[in-house]
Amino acid sequence: MSNQATAVPLRKDWDGGVSPFGVSYGKLFMWFFLVSDALTFSSLLCAYGFMRHKFTGEWAHPNEVFHHFPFVTREMPLAYVGFMTFDLIMSSVTMVLAVEAGHRKNRKQVMMWLFFTIIGGFIFVGSQCWEWYHFITGPELSATYHGVYRDYIMNGQHIINPHFTGANLVVNSYTMLPTFGDFFFCITGFHGFHVFSGVIINIIMLIMVANGVMDNRGHYEMIEKAGLYWHFVDLVWVFVFTFFYLL
Amino acid sequence: MSSFFEEYEGYPNYEKMATHDEAHGKVIRKKLWMVFWIMLIVTLIELFIGYKYSESLGEINKEYLFIFLTIAKAFFIVFVFMHLGDEKKALKYVIIAPYTLFIFYLAFMAITEGAYTWHIKDAISTVLMHQ
Repeated sequence: MSNQATAVPLRKDWDGGVSPFGVSYGKLFMWFFLVSDALTFSSLLCAYGFMRHKFTGEWAHPNEVFHHFPFVTREMPLAYVGFMTFDLIMSSVTMVLAVEAGHRKNRKQVMMWLFFTIIGGFIFVGSQCWEWYHFITGPELSATYHGVYRDYIMNGQHIINPHFTGANLVVNSYTMLPTFGDFFFCITGFHGFHVFSGVIINIIMLIMVANGVMDNRGHYEMIEKAGLYWHFVDLVWVFVFTFFYLL
Repeated sequence: MSSFFEEYEGYPNYEKMATHDEAHGKVIRKKLWMVFWIMLIVTLIELFIGYKYSESLGEINKEYLFIFLTIAKAFFIVFVFMHLGDEKKALKYVIIAPYTLFIFYLAFMAITEGAYTWHIKDAISTVLMHQ
């Protein structure tokens, strides 16, 4: 029976009986999901581009907003976000090495590279928390910290805080435009949530590999699909990095 | 899902087809690390330009340069790390073509409209004041 099946000549792409795309069902739909997710991110970034061109000249200069570095008091623009980009590219490489080890069915190496990928993901999520913290509390945190409210009611009087620094969804001290803070929170938050869920998926993959689920199946395609998602997260960060921090 | 396809005799098991041996793996790993170094260097160039020449370079030149470098990096991620370069032509086009068409159009519309809104900003406020 099986000999007869192999003797049949391979059918053409669109004749039926084979996948015209040459990939499995799961991988094809992972790609389609990523395209739809990419459209979501692209529309967010296009809206950002619209606002930036609408308020030409009034937008905050990124070098003056994001210049913190841990344990360094002097201003270092782009240094920390450069580190974050390096971290994400590095974890992308470890992920693709895990996929490559999966093609060789090398369980130990898959686990090792997945572990490094998870570490890289956690470093990135932690860095983003740190970045958000400094964005929210403002640049002069160590010198004068006067609270995060620009104006408040006290003893029936409306008091405007002249020392307000930082940002929230309503107001920020970097520009007159609340949209600057809104877009930052929305897009980097959405991306950070993707990174977080990617880390969770990678942890699940690591547990599955450790339990020998992939070996029982006879293939490591699950790692490849998780890898596609993880590379997509890296891909989005490349664009967020350019449009938020460089331009 | 797999049981559904297994009913067709001779349907290829794509999950199990994606394998390679130790020698081929070495070649692939070399390529992956090569791409990593390229991407690292591109990122360092971007950071250097952003840090040193953000004022001296013209605003439009800077935008085009950064967007070009970003798309170059995106190309490496999609075609090497996500292995789209190794897939069939049909899959490549079905992923890349509709997306690029739509997004370039959307970006063009959004940015043109945004710039136009900035240009007529004063006119709008004048009209609103006299109403």
